[in-house]
Amino acid sequence: MTSPAHHLSVPIPKWAYAVALVALSVTWLVLQENGIALGHAAETVHEFFHDGRHALGVPCH
Amino acid sequence: MPTYKGLLARGVGAGAVSGLLAGLVGVLVVEAPIRAALAVEQARPAEPGAGHGHGELFSRGTQVVGGVLAAVVVGVAVGALFATAYAGSRRWFVSKAPFVRAVSLSAAAFSAAALLPAVKYPANPPGVGAADTVEYRTVLYLGLIAAGLLVAVGASHLASRLGGLTPPVRATAVAAAVLAAVVVLLVAFPETPDVVPSDVPGGVLWEFRLASLAETATLWLGLGVVFGLLVDPATRRAKRVSAV
Repeated sequence: MTSPAHHLSVPIPKWAYAVALVALSVTWLVLQENGIALGHAAETVHEFFHDGRHALGVPCH
Repeated sequence: MPTYKGLLARGVGAGAVSGLLAGLVGVLVVEAPIRAALAVEQARPAEPGAGHGHGELFSRGTQVVGGVLAAVVVGVAVGALFATAYAGSRRWFVSKAPFVRAVSLSAAAFSAAALLPAVKYPANPPGVGAADTVEYRTVLYLGLIAAGLLVAVGASHLASRLGGLTPPVRATAVAAAVLAAVVVLLVAFPETPDVVPSDVPGGVLWEFRLASLAETATLWLGLGVVFGLLVDPATRRAKRVSAV
């Protein structure tokens, strides 16, 4: 490894992990949530995003 | 030298654009086989306890809008994650231009997060898939994506470790290692528990599967291309030269 590699990496602040967590949670909510977090309301979310879930290849029923 | 904030903003913007493009692919390409599959599903005799309720909570039109919105929201979220991965990547094609780094990183992410699961667990239209196996299928699907992402990270580690080899030999060695790892994953992961019902035509099934792959490819590769255009200084430099 040569030194240019170290110039490539941008310092990542701590709050970036919060951003990543929010991004993962939002993805889960749209594509995966089937009742774990929202309980019965999940059905509404599921049905609204139903086309998107199927089209993006997520397991569905 | 870009900052993390700047990269994050570009990732979110690129994700919104590619999500919208993917949503349009959804409406123009995936919608037709979805409708065909829904027609098959609705032609079935109603079974007690099997009511999935398509069109009961929301009309078809609302679900189409929801499908586009799903792609946009996922695009934005994935764009934020992509920007973070790009910011933290120390080994990914270090000698290449930012545009090439971004596009190749998105191609790797597409391969791990969409293409690999599409090979092992192909997408299914409505009317395929038992409700009682959805959790098991989700675990398999997410597990395979996680394993695929590990292979991508491992490949970039291996490439930097093999820095002493000539570029063609190194590329061949890394490609062979990735291929071997992918074959092991495809063999090791269990089969999907679901059987495609016999009333779903094979043509509709595969039209849907390929259309779905087109949408995920648009999402991921669109993200890489737009992000690459936004982060590469050469994008603007070229414009200035042509203006002069």
